[in-house]
Amino acid sequence: MPADPLHILIAALVCWLNFVTIDILFKLPERGGVSGAEEIGRHIEKGGGALHGGYMMGNIVSSPDASAGTLLASCGVYAAGIPGGLLAALLVYIGNRICHDPGYAGTTGCITATLIVYGFTLIGFSAADFIIGMVIAILTIQGISHVHASRLLSTLWRWREG
Amino acid sequence: MNSTEIALAVCGIIALYAAFRVMLEKDTMKKLPFLNVISFAISGSIVLLVPHPLAIVAAAAYFVGSTLESNAIASTFAGGPRNE
Repeated sequence: MPADPLHILIAALVCWLNFVTIDILFKLPERGGVSGAEEIGRHIEKGGGALHGGYMMGNIVSSPDASAGTLLASCGVYAAGIPGGLLAALLVYIGNRICHDPGYAGTTGCITATLIVYGFTLIGFSAADFIIGMVIAILTIQGISHVHASRLLSTLWRWREG
Repeated sequence: MNSTEIALAVCGIIALYAAFRVMLEKDTMKKLPFLNVISFAISGSIVLLVPHPLAIVAAAAYFVGSTLESNAIASTFAGGPRNE
């Protein structure tokens, strides 16, 4: 089946919404989970970004969060269907504990992403669309402009707070 | 090219782009988010190249390992462990 750019674009949007929603619900922008994540947040703020968005980006770097969960769930569904996605959730859970992350954002994101990706495969999408979609989604947050991404995340965090 | 090959090509291009950003960024702490993008692209590529259930374990092991390294680098620059 030839890759459909529209499918990749929709998959990227769905992945983005899944991981940003879950990370913000689990309060990742509130503070750095480990001292390294806080330091990344402060450096991003010093470079003109927003502190809470920076904390969230630091947390994404420092431990597998919902974005990693979404990627590994897509990989799991691609290789082995729903059981693959659940295996990925278990691995993310272990990964969180290895990285001293007490939260459940990664595991939750992985389970919701497994269901979402499996649902989309039933209507003609390929799980590969979601793997590439998640790589594009993380690129928009971590890989283009830290200043703008952190400001956007801080704005979303203020909505969650207020 | 089929959909897997296109997905692999896009992953490769994004990983290369992120590698250039890592090289161009002066601030070590701000290199780490770009490094994170590389980890995502490579974990995705592992499973796209080897569509086998055990490839999930390989991708997760690679991803968690690279995350732990970033965590360690960042925490060291922050002045060592606080409560972790």
